[in-house]
Amino acid sequence: MRLKSHFQHAFINFTAAKLRALLAMLGILVGTAAVVALLSCGRLATDKALSEFKTMGTDLLAVMVYQAKQSDPNHPSHNRMTSEAWYQLPKQVPAIKKIAPYATVYQTLSYKGHRLDGAVIAADETLAQIIQIQMAQGFFVSFVESFEHFCVIGEKLAEQIRESTLDSPLGKQIQIGQNLYTIIGIAAHWQENAFFNEDINRAVITPIAGIELLSRENSINNAVISLYPEFPIDTTLDQIKAAIVKLAPEQLLFIRSAKQMIASMESQGRIFTLLLTVIGSISLLVGGIGIMNVMLVSVSERKKEIGIRKAVGATCRDIQRLFLAESILLSISGGILGVVLGELLTWIIAQFSDWPYTFYFMPPMAGFAVSAAAGIFFGYYPAKRAAHLDPIACLRSE
Amino acid sequence: MMFNSPPLIVTKELTKHYYRNDVCSTVLKQVSLTVFAGELVAIVGASGSGKSTLMAILGLLDSASSGQYCLNECTVTELNDDERAALRNQHLGFVFQQFNLLPRFSVRQNVALPLAYREMASDEIEERVHHVLVKVGMERYSDYSPLQLSGGQQQRVAIARALIASPQIILADEPTGALDSQTGTDIINLFLSLHAEGRTILMVTHDEHIASLCPRQIIMADGQIINEINSCA
Repeated sequence: MRLKSHFQHAFINFTAAKLRALLAMLGILVGTAAVVALLSCGRLATDKALSEFKTMGTDLLAVMVYQAKQSDPNHPSHNRMTSEAWYQLPKQVPAIKKIAPYATVYQTLSYKGHRLDGAVIAADETLAQIIQIQMAQGFFVSFVESFEHFCVIGEKLAEQIRESTLDSPLGKQIQIGQNLYTIIGIAAHWQENAFFNEDINRAVITPIAGIELLSRENSINNAVISLYPEFPIDTTLDQIKAAIVKLAPEQLLFIRSAKQMIASMESQGRIFTLLLTVIGSISLLVGGIGIMNVMLVSVSERKKEIGIRKAVGATCRDIQRLFLAESILLSISGGILGVVLGELLTWIIAQFSDWPYTFYFMPPMAGFAVSAAAGIFFGYYPAKRAAHLDPIACLRSE
Repeated sequence: MMFNSPPLIVTKELTKHYYRNDVCSTVLKQVSLTVFAGELVAIVGASGSGKSTLMAILGLLDSASSGQYCLNECTVTELNDDERAALRNQHLGFVFQQFNLLPRFSVRQNVALPLAYREMASDEIEERVHHVLVKVGMERYSDYSPLQLSGGQQQRVAIARALIASPQIILADEPTGALDSQTGTDIINLFLSLHAEGRTILMVTHDEHIASLCPRQIIMADGQIINEINSCA
């Protein structure tokens, strides 16, 4: 019997017991949908995390220095990284292209008596260049305004001001601690990322040179560095460590590389995908067992048909193929519907999670292939059992 | 009848045992039989006489415990399941007491079933289906479900299915057993007309009247052929 005829006969049997077929394929449908949705969402989440680096580039370092022990109050300068100290680094490490030292200052923020929720960052325009801060209005704080009471605010902070006072923030004054700062620029929406810990959208950025106006300590504990790609990263890291130890011997260092973070994210993504695949596979296993159960019932109920087919000349292989075609038809139908449902779920999750939805071929293909494989695997035993039934016993069965 | 040609069926001392709970019961005892092309043979006997078992063995649906069976000069005793299936498809057509049609398939699909197990063009299958349905007077019902047909109509469809592959032998197991007398007579008349065309038919029946219409009767009891009546002799 031709393969086409097997599937035609299988389809007739499939449509004759619609409810049972639907229930049998439900398990595979849910399993495939789970595999597709989990794999797609895992991929979307990883891509979303990785895309944060795409705009900034990957040849980046984030350096943080911190006090190992109580510093000597008589010689404080030996224990600090000042902005001048940071600016000396490129002279000692040739791989450094740009350096943007910055400090987070803990001060209260308010506008016309309205308390604002945000952080204060002392930085210079290099920070805007490295972490890609675009301006929606006005200008970024620059070397020219180093000692002026000027600042730039983030998008969310500007919204807070507009919502509470209906004022346009540009040119207005914001209170930072006891000082008033004039807003000279509003940053456009900034894509948060795991590399730069502060949220620019909720920050006030003041000139780094004027940090002493806001904080008694003039130490700058953080810097972001962009590197020339041609230098080996390990050597560069060693050079930076050596230079900082020389400049501030009692400071401890913590350096994060964007490339290392990406590798770590990708590794986590793979583990996450594997975990999700296992969960989805368990759903498919349950669905496959459902198909096997339905097929065994079908074999038991259709003994007479098996006997008739054998009487008119069907071989064992013909009977096996017929029942295998039915289980494949069931699982593939469930698989197709599962892929559609899985993609729909992915789209809904992407909308709620603010991930850009992308259609990936691999998860649906994997879901579909696994569902078809489940149909063959779980349909094999019932089909083999049907094939080896005694024709006379089958014909005599009711 | 073509008695000059080699016999279609030759059995020598066919014996069939069944074992249940280690108890052996012998349902066929050394049955030897020869059937030539074009014969209409009735196998008659009471219930439990072994006639249906003999029919199952002749139809290659069951195997004898011992003895020899040659179908169309081919010794079938040593064949495997697939070879026996191929012989059934090529040489044998079955008509059962309970019609045994597939309820989910149309009349046309039921009749075409034996040809589905052959490599044949769909046009040719359609042509053959139409031809045999005309022969049994069921051409108007080709798209019906078997469940929409009467018993007599279903048996005609079953006969059409048995004829479609042009088998050398038609094996009918109590073909009128589930029918009323008038419909049964119609079906027997159909078998007689097929015999008149030269077809070889073996028919199991316990109805003496039907058996009397067949030129050759083999009477069985207790698993053995106890008598044979040949009105042509």
